[in-house]
Parts: sequence; C-alpha cells; structure tokens
Amino acid sequence: MFSSVNNKISGVHLTSNAKQTVVAVLSVTFGISMYVFMNSFMSGVNDAQTKLAFTALAHVRVYNDGPADNTNLLKRVLPYGKLINLRNAKVIQYTKGIKNSTQIVSLLQHQPEATGVTSQVNINVSYHNGAIKINGQLSGVDVENENRLFGISNYMLQGQWQELKSRSDGVIIGSGLAKNMSLKINDNLNLLTDDGVAKNYKVIGIFETTIANTDKSKAYINIGAARQLLSKNADYVTDIQLNVKDYSKARQTAGKVAPVIPYKVEAWQVANGQLEAGSDLRDIIAKAVSLTILLVAGFGIYNIMNMTVNQKIREVAILKAMGFSGGDITTIFLTEALIIGIVGGIVGMLFGYVVALAVNHIPFAIGGLTTLPMTYKPSDYLLAFVFGLLTTFVAGYLPARHASKIDPVTIIRG
Amino acid sequence: MNTTISLKASNIDKYFYQPEPFQVLKDVSFEVKKGEFLTLIGKSGSGKSTLLYVLSTMDTDYKGSLEINGARLTGKSQNELAAFRNEHIGFVFQFHYLLVEFTALENVMLPALKLGKKSREEIEANAYESLKMLDLKEQALKQANKLSGGQQQRVAIARALINNPSVIMGDEPTGNLDSKNTKVVFDIFKQLSRERGQTIIAVTHDDDFARNSDRVIELSDGNLLKTSTIGR
Repeated sequence: MFSSVNNKISGVHLTSNAKQTVVAVLSVTFGISMYVFMNSFMSGVNDAQTKLAFTALAHVRVYNDGPADNTNLLKRVLPYGKLINLRNAKVIQYTKGIKNSTQIVSLLQHQPEATGVTSQVNINVSYHNGAIKINGQLSGVDVENENRLFGISNYMLQGQWQELKSRSDGVIIGSGLAKNMSLKINDNLNLLTDDGVAKNYKVIGIFETTIANTDKSKAYINIGAARQLLSKNADYVTDIQLNVKDYSKARQTAGKVAPVIPYKVEAWQVANGQLEAGSDLRDIIAKAVSLTILLVAGFGIYNIMNMTVNQKIREVAILKAMGFSGGDITTIFLTEALIIGIVGGIVGMLFGYVVALAVNHIPFAIGGLTTLPMTYKPSDYLLAFVFGLLTTFVAGYLPARHASKIDPVTIIRG
Repeated sequence: MNTTISLKASNIDKYFYQPEPFQVLKDVSFEVKKGEFLTLIGKSGSGKSTLLYVLSTMDTDYKGSLEINGARLTGKSQNELAAFRNEHIGFVFQFHYLLVEFTALENVMLPALKLGKKSREEIEANAYESLKMLDLKEQALKQANKLSGGQQQRVAIARALINNPSVIMGDEPTGNLDSKNTKVVFDIFKQLSRERGQTIIAVTHDDDFARNSDRVIELSDGNLLKTSTIGR
C-alpha cells in the first residue's frame, strides 16, 4: 500500500501548493507549540508553588498524634449488654512528643530515598514585648538539618542563620512578627509557653518566607534551648521531618515506615490536600486548554485537506481510472496529512520551547518569584507531538477516505 | 486481424434513477475481436458513453455480463477492477486529464509505476520511447499544463499505452482537437491496432473518424442499432 508512486504523488501535492501546505503546517505548529507552552507553564507554576510550600513543609512528618479516644474505657473490659454510665472522663497523664527520637531519626536516615531528616521541638507560645502579645509557634531546630530541608538561610533578611547554632539565647523571627512587635536585631523578645514558663531571648535574625502566616507567627531557636525551655531531656522532639528524592512519592515512603514507628507518620499530601488538589486542577486546566487548541488546529487541517481533495477531485478520478485503488488514494492523502503533522509537530515543539523560554524571562516579582515560572519536561514535548500527530491523522483520514470513495465515472463524465 | 475475442458484452442493461428511472442501455450484446478498431456512435443521450464506461469496468452498476480477454469482470470488487484496469486497459478522454503538477514524462510513467512490474529505469526508457513515437520527446520534461492541447492529448495517449494494455478505450479522444491533431490521434490508433494488435474502442461524434475505423456500432435510445464493418 505504501508504494513509492503514492508517496511521490503526495510529495508533489505538498510542494506544488506550498502556500497551502505552509498554512496547514502552521496550524499544527500553533497547536503543538501552545500545548507545549501551556503545559510547561502550568508545570512551572505547580513546581514554584510546591517549592514555596516546601519552605515550611517537609515531605513526611512524624509526630505524636495525642492520646487515643478514651471516652469510654469501660466498654473494653465489660461484657456487651452492660449499661455503662461514665461521666467527665479525663486523661490524667499522657506522653507528649516523641521519646526515642534517635532511633527513629536513624531509621529514616537509612531509607534509600531520604534526602534529609531533621528533628524539631515545636512549642505553642505567646510572644511579649511590652504591652503587645502575639500567639505563635516557636520551633526549636537542628540548625544544620533544618536548613538542608527547608533552605531557610535563603530567606534571611537580617542576621545569619548559622549563628543560631552557637547562641542558645538567640531567636530568629519572621519579618511580620518583627514588624508587629516593633523588634529589631539585638532587641529582647519575651515569650511564655502554655505551661507558664517565661524566658527572654535576643533577636539575632529576621527571615521572610513570603508566606504571611509563617512570617507573622514563627520564630526559631536552637533545639537545645527549646528542650531546656520545656525541661526535657536531649532525646525529646515533637516532630521529625523527612524529605525524600521525589516529593510526589512521599506517600509510599510514609506507608513503608509507618508500621515500625509508634507515632503518626504523615505524608505532605495528607496534611495539605489543597496543595495537591490545586496542582492537579491546574494540570487539568492546562490539558483541557491545550487539547482544545489542538482540536482547533485539527479542524484547520481537516479544512485544508478537504479543500485539497476537492481541488484534486478530477485527478483522483483519473488515478482511479488508471488503476489506483481506494487504498492508494487514502494513502496518498493520509501521507500528506501525516507529513504536515510531523513537520508541524517538530517545528511546533521548537517554537513551543522558544515561547516558553521567552515567557520564562518575563519579570514576575510576587511571592518569592523573580520571573514567570516554567518547567521544561521532555514528556510534555513528546505528548504534544503524539497528540498533534493523532489529531492530524484523524483530520487527514476523513477527507482521505472521502477521496478514496470518489466515483471516477461521475467526475469524468461531469 | 485474428479471431480471438478481446471483449464480450452480453445483455447489458443499465438504468439511471435520477431524476427519474430511465433505462439507458437495453440488452446490449456484442463482441470485439483482438486488434479491432471499433467506434461507438450515436446521438447525444443514446447511451454510447454510458456503454463505454460500463466496458471500462469503472461503472459497475449494470445488469448483464462483461468479459475482457476471457476474464469475467462482472461482480468483481472495485480494487480488483482497479488492478485489472491498470494492467489491461488504457484510457484516453475528451479532455486530457493529465496530472498538471507532473511533467509529461511522469504522467506517462505513473500507471507503470503503479503496476510495479518493471524497474524505474525500464519504465522511464519505455515512457521516453512512447513519447518519441508520439513526437513529444522534446516536451518530456515540461510540466503538463505548459503543453498545447494537441500535445497534452498525445501525452494522455502515451500514458494509456505505457503498460501495453490489450484494450484502449477513448471517450471522444479527438473531441477537443483540431482536424490536424485529430488526424494524428486517429493514425496512432490505427497503427496500434494494426501493428501491436491492441483493441481500440472509441466513442466519437466525428463521422470521418468513425468511417475510417474497422467497425462502427451505432446506438439509439440504448439499443444497439446497427454494426457496420468498414475498411480493411
């Protein structure tokens, strides 16, 4: 079926009406480049969003989920059918935080996909400076590892992150908190834990993550200082944070280690469903828009191929009279459509890359970004090409089939 | 002329259904011998062209049966018929119907390339030979739409001859030509039937053309009116 005669005829059709061919190629080019651009852009936005989110969020978090549901303890020991009346049940003792943290940290560090583990002692506190009181969260951190996971040193406005390591009286506060409490470097910050312990710290740094809630309420101290504040031993932590190589696979890692860790192990997707939903929704929008563009491009090709077939209707009739079969005719026109699709696809991928590159350079200085975000994924290009080819195939096949069914007698006799 | 039967049409009936049912061909039967130069004549609407297209295998919507070279063609599939036409039938139409984007040479070569029985070089050599015989050697590499009407018609004849078909059919092959070119085409047909033993069946309005052929079949209102053997 794919004889060289048919290919030659296709070739002559394409080259003899170059203008029309170029228009058809351009419509594919446009569809595919927009597909590439839209998806690169959306991936870029998602990646930027995720990166931003992960400045304060680890991929997997291990923490003590609090006491179990103990509202009806007697049910467990009394046989079924007994009436129980239990009022004002109270938990009189439960263990806060994670006790054997060294073991768990070591276990997490030995996961092959782990890229970093850090321990935190997080305390709810209220900050005091004169008459101003603000509730917030104090994080006692392992200075080195915290930075490895969250890159917090990149967000420092004043002071050095590393200084926290050697300053047990030092605190690094968010820019919003500093502003609301009128604090500058070297000022004193008094804070009160919910257990009623008060302590003074010296502001040694100010950070800004651009996440307003964090900047307004968070402060960091050395993890040792935090344990001291709570009068806990050197193994005490409230949270263990783990980062893995591929954040989208955090769930698998969490599922793997959960059975051997007696605390709550939570992947970021579980704790932040809205992030995942937002990212997925943007992906769907990008796919829908770009597929629509491809569909429009497909109609363009369909139109042009239909026109070509109508222009060549006498030629088709004569080819059939000379002995070309319906299959030959289909092949001729389908080959034309596919060549248009392949050329348009390749040019479209290149053009899409250029557009993406150009948009990637447009300044956009909001929320920690400098330019519009863009991700360059080969799979986007490959998919664009495949979808483009599929569209041209369908758009070319319908007119080609129509041409193959032309009755030569009707055409030749007029 | 030998006595082998080249084409045999038996009891051909054909109807047109648009705009209203109408019988175009009524029980037409005849035989054509190998190497015979046959012309079909008749008034407009007599069914002569319709008959030719039935004989050509392109029109399959008829009753009766058609045999060419002893092979029964009635009832075969479109693709089988296309392959048969490619190898055994050459066409010359009133309008040249060349592929205008191709050169004269390429137009001539197309049916042979489609048949694919010879190498490209062989086909090209044959095509050149045909063009030379039709005095078109100089025009071989010109694009088809750059040729004059007479030249185009001769290219169409060369194309019809390239696979050395046993039957050549013409639908008013000279209908669009001046008397000089008509004579040229007629002589070529005559030569083909005499020297190569190829059967020629041509529909014509031209009485001179018909008178000089071997046999004339006249149709009137779909009936075979008379056949008259002339010449020879």
